[in-house]
Amino acid sequence: MNRIVARKTWFKGLQFHSVLAVLALMLLAGDVMAHGERAQLASMRMRTVHWFDTQVTPLNVKVGDLVTVTGKLVTSEWWPKHMPSIEETVFLNIGVPGPTFLRLHSEVNGVPMMRSTAFPLGKVYEYKTVLRARVAGRYHVHPLLNVKDAGSLVAKGSWLEVAENDSGEPFVNEITTLPGDTIDLETYGLSGFGGVYFWHVVWIVVGIAYLVYWLGTKRELFIPRFIRIRALGQDRANELLTKNDFVVSSIFFTLTLALILTGYLWAENRYPITIPLQTGLVDVEPIDIPAGDLEVVVDHATYELAGRSLTMRMNMTNNGTSPIRIAEFLTANIRFMNAKVGEGEIYEGEEMISRDGLTVSIDTIAPGQSVDVDLVASDALWEKYRMTGLIHDPDSRFAGLIFYYDDVGTRYYQEVGGAVLPEFF
Amino acid sequence: MSQAQAEEVTEIEAKRRLLDIKSLDNPKALKLYRRFDGILILVLFTFLTLGIQIQFTLTAGDWDYWIDWRDRRWWPLISPFTLLLFIGAFTYGIWYRLRLPIIATAVTLLLCLVSWLSRYLNFVEFANFPMSFTFPSTYIGLAILLDCALAMTRSLVVSAMIGGGLFGALVYPLNWAFMAPYKVPVEFNGTLMSVADLMGYEYIRTTTPEYLRIIEESTLRTFGGSVTPLTAVFAGLCGIVIYAIFLYAGSWINGLDKYAKRIV
Repeated sequence: MNRIVARKTWFKGLQFHSVLAVLALMLLAGDVMAHGERAQLASMRMRTVHWFDTQVTPLNVKVGDLVTVTGKLVTSEWWPKHMPSIEETVFLNIGVPGPTFLRLHSEVNGVPMMRSTAFPLGKVYEYKTVLRARVAGRYHVHPLLNVKDAGSLVAKGSWLEVAENDSGEPFVNEITTLPGDTIDLETYGLSGFGGVYFWHVVWIVVGIAYLVYWLGTKRELFIPRFIRIRALGQDRANELLTKNDFVVSSIFFTLTLALILTGYLWAENRYPITIPLQTGLVDVEPIDIPAGDLEVVVDHATYELAGRSLTMRMNMTNNGTSPIRIAEFLTANIRFMNAKVGEGEIYEGEEMISRDGLTVSIDTIAPGQSVDVDLVASDALWEKYRMTGLIHDPDSRFAGLIFYYDDVGTRYYQEVGGAVLPEFF
Repeated sequence: MSQAQAEEVTEIEAKRRLLDIKSLDNPKALKLYRRFDGILILVLFTFLTLGIQIQFTLTAGDWDYWIDWRDRRWWPLISPFTLLLFIGAFTYGIWYRLRLPIIATAVTLLLCLVSWLSRYLNFVEFANFPMSFTFPSTYIGLAILLDCALAMTRSLVVSAMIGGGLFGALVYPLNWAFMAPYKVPVEFNGTLMSVADLMGYEYIRTTTPEYLRIIEESTLRTFGGSVTPLTAVFAGLCGIVIYAIFLYAGSWINGLDKYAKRIV
């Protein structure tokens, strides 16, 4: 008896602690902010698309206000060959929690992007997306590319606060159709005679009426019918169906056909001009990378695990007439900036920046000079954004953009990449 | 088991069946049967609801979730296809044992009700989509035609020809009554779009890009661009074949009861 009481007490204690543990987990849980910026393989993030100049403005809005997302991207020449290419089909998307925003406009290199497109590798694409805040909240907004058969590629995100609008009126999204009607897409086609609700109620009522006839008006249902059919045998089982059943079924059959025909003709009359769903790829003219007159050849690269740093040895030749200074190395959305140069704009709310994360072995590359340069990109961000997984990837190669400036402050950039060797100790 | 034992079992079984038949004249027994029938209907409908919801979600999910997926080539083909295979398998058993032509109507009605619940809770309340973008399609009318065809002809084969054909062919006309407004043209940034296309563009789906839609694309293989009637004819033919195949599958499943008897 004592043992049973002890067991019960122990079980109650376990229940209490379980509830406490669940509550603690709920209280300690942080914000969900991931759209994949840390989840994908490090080498994949480095060698697919280089996003830069990403800007979300403004960062504090009210429901109904406009938000503009702009930036540029370079499609990597080091795109993994085994992965479906961005050269086939890609869609410019936006990473937000569902339709908390309306997308009013999006374009790449000036071409509207309602549909999918294709991006040749090694080119620059300037994108712009205009959103309208729809639901109040705090959101992490990312530009995003969906690559067919490959997956999503996300740019860095920015936190955006959306407050309720002052009027408190319901959100409306009005557009004008080609026939000239102004409609609110939030509620379009739902209510009123001939709307979605109307027809669904009609069919649900007809369906229920049919089932009520067969299940509600019969004296004998499942078990009695089963017994009778077993007794009669399959040859005579149809005797269970009465003349009334035939008549009622005929009425339902005719009524249903008439309703379908009526609905179809009514809609044809009410909406005489309709078109099929539209699809198909659109073409975008790419922009060449403004590489300037710097010739870069990567000699080798090593990733030091303990120091969280990527060291790249490159041979750089300045074929221009202006001295050049290396200002930044960008890979997997992380900006490693050379504090000595101090160039490169940092936008409001921008994340993933190491302000002094880039060390360059030479300050200035003079015109005509050819020199071996060591670039060291070092920061805890390698760890924070799970880039240290680079050494565990099945395809250990890196790629990134280096940004450099001439003596009048003109910015150039080009992609570098190659094999990377790990240094464990 | 010896032959004598088998005959004895058969004799016992015959006596039981006789008692069962006599019980149908007993009002108290009938009342009890009715209560059990209520439980059976509840169990059957719950099973049908869960089954069709999972099956339809996995096979025709996006075509039914989003108005910008309901095209005139794939959606009218996929939806009856996936519904009829479920309906066919269940119809056989219920018809064979109970002579009740209700499965198609029950399945589509329950699917409709559970879809509305799901759209409201998951899509509107949880994910903030407007109902105008995610309302479900209806197939109840088609199911009534199928069930009525069975009740009138009392033949699974003939009902497959008539009902299965109509089920496939009339998906588009049935839903056109409330889908037509979403196919009205709109000019947007110099591009022609339907209202449905525009909704798909404006209401952001992060992991459902435009290219993911499996919808009609331009092709050289058309008869003067008559896509809708051709799809309807083809869907009707497919409806007949699929329904017939899965009626056969239902008959096979129905035959598995012999193993249940052995276990008992």
